[in-house]
Amino acid sequence: MNELIIGDDFIKILLVLVLGSAALIITQRSLVSLFSIYAAQSAILAAVALALFTREGTASLLFMAVLTVASKVIIIPFFLRRLLAVMPIKRDLEFHYLTPIGSIILSTGLFFVVYQAFSALSPALEVSRLFILGAVIGVSLALMGMMVIMSRRKVITKIIGYLSMENGVLLFSMFIAEMPFIIEVLIIIDLLMIIVLSAVLAFGIDSSVEAFHKRLNQLGLDFED
Amino acid sequence: MIQALFLGGAGLMLLAAAAGVIGGGDSGAGRRKAALALVIAGTVAWMAASAGVLADGAAVDFTLYRLAPDLAFAFHLDRLSAFFCLIIAAVALCTAVYSLKYIEHGAGGRQRDFLTAAMAVFILSMGLVAASANFFALIFFWEMMSLSSLLLVLYERDRAETAKAGVYYLVMTQFSTLFLLLGALLLHRYTGTFNIGAADLSPAAAGLIFGAFFIGFGTKAGVMPFHKWLPFAHAAAPSNISALMSGVMIKVAVYGLVRILLDVLSPELWWGTVLLVFGIVSAVLGVIYALKEHDLKKLLAYHSIENIGIIVIGLGLYVIFSHYSLAALADLSLFGALFHTLNHAVFKSLLFMTAGSVVAATHSRNIEEMGGLVKRMPATAVIFLIGAAAISALPPLNGFASEVMLFQAYLGAFQVPSPLTAVLLFTALAAFALMSALAAACFVKAFGAVFLALPRSKEAEQAVEAPRAMLIGPGILAAACVVLGIFSAQIFRAAGFDLPLIDLLPVTAVTGAIFGLAVFLVRRSGSRVRLSETWGCGIHRQNSKMEYTASGFSEPIVTIFSPIFRTRKSLRREYADRDKSIVTGGSGEIHTLQFFEERIYLPAARLVQRLSGFVSRLHNVDLDAFVLYAFVVIVILLLAVGRWL
Repeated sequence: MNELIIGDDFIKILLVLVLGSAALIITQRSLVSLFSIYAAQSAILAAVALALFTREGTASLLFMAVLTVASKVIIIPFFLRRLLAVMPIKRDLEFHYLTPIGSIILSTGLFFVVYQAFSALSPALEVSRLFILGAVIGVSLALMGMMVIMSRRKVITKIIGYLSMENGVLLFSMFIAEMPFIIEVLIIIDLLMIIVLSAVLAFGIDSSVEAFHKRLNQLGLDFED
Repeated sequence: MIQALFLGGAGLMLLAAAAGVIGGGDSGAGRRKAALALVIAGTVAWMAASAGVLADGAAVDFTLYRLAPDLAFAFHLDRLSAFFCLIIAAVALCTAVYSLKYIEHGAGGRQRDFLTAAMAVFILSMGLVAASANFFALIFFWEMMSLSSLLLVLYERDRAETAKAGVYYLVMTQFSTLFLLLGALLLHRYTGTFNIGAADLSPAAAGLIFGAFFIGFGTKAGVMPFHKWLPFAHAAAPSNISALMSGVMIKVAVYGLVRILLDVLSPELWWGTVLLVFGIVSAVLGVIYALKEHDLKKLLAYHSIENIGIIVIGLGLYVIFSHYSLAALADLSLFGALFHTLNHAVFKSLLFMTAGSVVAATHSRNIEEMGGLVKRMPATAVIFLIGAAAISALPPLNGFASEVMLFQAYLGAFQVPSPLTAVLLFTALAAFALMSALAAACFVKAFGAVFLALPRSKEAEQAVEAPRAMLIGPGILAAACVVLGIFSAQIFRAAGFDLPLIDLLPVTAVTGAIFGLAVFLVRRSGSRVRLSETWGCGIHRQNSKMEYTASGFSEPIVTIFSPIFRTRKSLRREYADRDKSIVTGGSGEIHTLQFFEERIYLPAARLVQRLSGFVSRLHNVDLDAFVLYAFVVIVILLLAVGRWL
């Protein structure tokens, strides 16, 4: 088993790749690319889980890797692409509060803030620097996902924000919190539900939330007439 | 024995509360009488228990129920709490006797039942506050007192002004509880216990806790500028409840303040200055506002603010003199304040009860619509007169006895080594003297407008004397005014306090003898007295329109104090011709600025409204903004973690 152990450096490279993928999600305007980046990010997370499994031998990490590949690399992107096929839009060009450049600058600052906070906490947490780095990137990823939710106008992009946020939580839990496996399963089921609901509501998914409300109201008025 | 008497009294009042509401229908006068009899029995038991503690001097401790190790309904009856329990019980006893008849003149049966029950709960809660051994029990019973009194203020809820009074009272009473809670929690933070006992604290911590308790108790006591609820609530509540609120409830707050100053914290000089300044402001402004008031009950309510001011002045003097180790003066001030507390409870509840009788007889609270009642309600008039003389500090009545103690203490100000403090004390003395003179003027106005001259309304003309029960209750208190005044020095000596007091007994004897002699001489020379109609400026028959009105009486004083009242006069005339030489009609109005309402309360309310508007706008936003809020909060938390951990 020992010869299979993957080194810290490899994990660090994977973590940097996760961060890079998050930056791409923030800036990318093409929806097809967004889905692909999300799938890639999830695949990297699965790789991180596998790498950690070879170090610690915890079965739940292996299951997490398998589950991540199945749900986030295959099923969810598949659904999202199906959605895209029925939607008239292919790009998301509208932003709220933050532009992509602003978001990138803010996330860089954010990363340092999170790093600072966790460095202060590390003596209390009694974990190695690698684990701190994993946790920092996890939290940063979640916050960057949040930035996507608030800065993008289109619902479909917001969904990517949610999914990316959840990836951050997953990463954090792999390194620090050791979230029970069953919770992770439940979260993934939730994500699938979000996607299914999105598909059901696909006729309005190309609009912003506000416009979508208006459309629903208009439907109601039509019925009354 | 004392424990049994106290708990027995409390039990009787609980029983009275239950008896007040059990049953139904519009009748039930008998049941209400029984409930009030139970209240009377309960107050008698409390008086016996209090007298026992006061005579014996030993404190009695007992726990009724322990909720958690640190939270217990525990009681501690020492001489201070017994003194306040005695005040509560004595005034409640007279009010209950008065209520036997008074309660029956109000609205429907169910409402009268409610009034009886809530009154019993109100009296019970006040006694329990004074007897509480820890802040948990104190604040619990304090809230019980606040809520029961709120329900009583809202008794005549259909009237618009009652709703306003209710809102003011609710807000201010909760404001008071909030600060008490803050004080108690701070004390717990530093001492680790809720028990009311000596706390060894740093000056900063003690000052902070004093500030919280002063605002908490001061609001309930009606110290300016936290007094706004008082005139509204006292005027809106039924008169027997006003008597309890003004006579007793605000004294419960005084008890809290005294307890904090004597037993819990070690006062510092600046606390005394704060108390003195707030006391003087309350006393002087209270009486000035009373002067322009024509609503009889509001007038009395403003006098409560004035008298609370006097009591707080006494406490301030106590703190200042204690700081300079002038023990004799400090004792004189403290006992003066406590004695005035008792005296005010006696004469103010008397005045509210007689005012209630007058209002019930004339169906109006406006003194301009009264007049001539001395002929129609002679007994009520005599009782009111005794109360008015007592509150105006006329010798030999009790108001004079306690105010003169404070004057004596003031005159010792030259012994204070700090010139600055001495100047403050002498300035305060001048204000105190002014206040005493104005109070007398105000009650000349009140008594004159209500009872003398000719009736100014049909109701006043048809007024009849109050029933006997409504005379006995205040009558007992009127007798107490006389006894507590004339025998004040003897009472203090019997209680074991050797204070340099003026003995009013020989003063009374000499004054009485001179008065008797004067009456005798006038009677003897009676043959030379000519009886005739009062000069009516040539008009043959005089009527009530030609009387000196209450507005007329107070007008010069209102003019003198117009910078305080901020009086605005507006006159409007209509003319028949273009040259404006023939006046056909017009109107005139005098507006007074409600300083505290317009400059403190309303701006505060507007600020809160603006803040609420801002928060409301923050709420009514889209999803993105909510995510943004969450994002900002998380970042702030992260920054805090990085900075402080």
